[in-house]
Amino acid sequence: MGAAQTLPSEVAWSRSIQANNEDRKRGRTFGMRPAQESDNEFEAGLINRIAEGDDSAFTALYKRFSGSLYGMAFRMMNDAKEAEDVLQEGFTYIWRKAGTYDPNRSSPFAWAVMITRNKAIDRLRVRQRIEKLRERVTAEESFYQNKDEVSADEPTLRERGAIVRSALQDIPLEQRQALELSFFGGLTHEQIAERLDTPLGTIKARIRRGLLRLRDCLKEGL
Amino acid sequence: MIHEIKQDLLVQYLLNEVDAATAEQIRAELETDAELRDFVRETEDAFASIAHAAPPILPPVGLPERILQLERNVSSIPSTPPRSKIIWLVLPWAIAACLAVGCIVLGLERTRLEKENIQSGQELLALQQKVARVEESLATLQKKNLLAEVTIATLKAQVASYETASAVVVWDKDQKNGVLQLDKLPPPAAGKDYQLWVIDPKIAQPVSAGILAVPNNGLIRASFHPVSPIESAAAFAISVEKAGGAAKPEGQIILVGK
Repeated sequence: MGAAQTLPSEVAWSRSIQANNEDRKRGRTFGMRPAQESDNEFEAGLINRIAEGDDSAFTALYKRFSGSLYGMAFRMMNDAKEAEDVLQEGFTYIWRKAGTYDPNRSSPFAWAVMITRNKAIDRLRVRQRIEKLRERVTAEESFYQNKDEVSADEPTLRERGAIVRSALQDIPLEQRQALELSFFGGLTHEQIAERLDTPLGTIKARIRRGLLRLRDCLKEGL
Repeated sequence: MIHEIKQDLLVQYLLNEVDAATAEQIRAELETDAELRDFVRETEDAFASIAHAAPPILPPVGLPERILQLERNVSSIPSTPPRSKIIWLVLPWAIAACLAVGCIVLGLERTRLEKENIQSGQELLALQQKVARVEESLATLQKKNLLAEVTIATLKAQVASYETASAVVVWDKDQKNGVLQLDKLPPPAAGKDYQLWVIDPKIAQPVSAGILAVPNNGLIRASFHPVSPIESAAAFAISVEKAGGAAKPEGQIILVGK
């Protein structure tokens, strides 16, 4: 299982992230507690400075987000080099398009996630690897447990990851499966319906309900 | 409360699964509807949070510096690259330009051919209409010509006992034949026959056009033609001849007309 590969510098990097994100780690947007609002405002401020060409702001935002985004890209691409390319494309986009960021529409993290995910999906589609990834996503029932060991030494990220994983475990399996196929597999509703041999309407409902339950679980958890 | 169908649509909008027109419509709604906006934002946050399900990993060292360096290079590309690079830089554009010119030429040629095709079609239609008009005119002229070639002659009785009989000859000058209609002509006496004659001024003797068989009702309608060539028909006559007819009029002329 490629996603379970050990990268030697993970622990050190996680600690670096921890140092930079001590306040932010408690939750990015769910529930919007004062600390989270502060995180969002700070990150939105970084993006504004990036739009003005501030290198240090770019580096700061990179340190805050790159660990999570690279982990996500790595899982989607199942290849370290391709994940690096995705991350580079994503942050290049952020550098160039920071001026288009609208804090009223997205939180900074969600904005960065959607950008990076779209870059990964573009690559997946070009290389026609969706089928392979979809199978991997479906087969990996023990994925979270395996990867949890990787981040076990990093309390901040472990906490955030644990909250999300816990929230995901709280939602029904079929909803979680649909969400994972959509998020990590990059599949559309129709493709998921075809893949699972399930009516499109059912898939729409599973994804919607899964997202709403995830939203509520995270609000409670954070 | 946002309806579930609307929620589904908004989720698909978030995942870039709606067409451009629908996305534009949703963006317009989001501008004015705070509830929709909050739903989209919260749902996007929930969706993005799934990224945390994948444990964070340290990315390669120096990536942000590399990105910034590349971006600086992009914004400061030298204005005069080496000659060898110029070729590779220019070649794709040259090919693209050639293709573009080719497309334009083909496009113009296609437009021209389409115009010619339309013009040809219009001309063909005009010609067909003209032919139809000519054919109609020709038919009219033929009809007029036919009428011009026809002579109608009424034969009048020369003998009192035949005054009740009426005879009309329609003569075609061109075809040199005609149609005779006779009415109330009594049957010929025994051993006698009625014989029709065509009188050509240039021929000394009338030319026979045949024996007339009279039915019991006395009505005759028959086509005829002279037994020998004539040039023109100036008059027509019916005489009473011996049975079987004669080569030239020998009996009494009972009807004449011109």
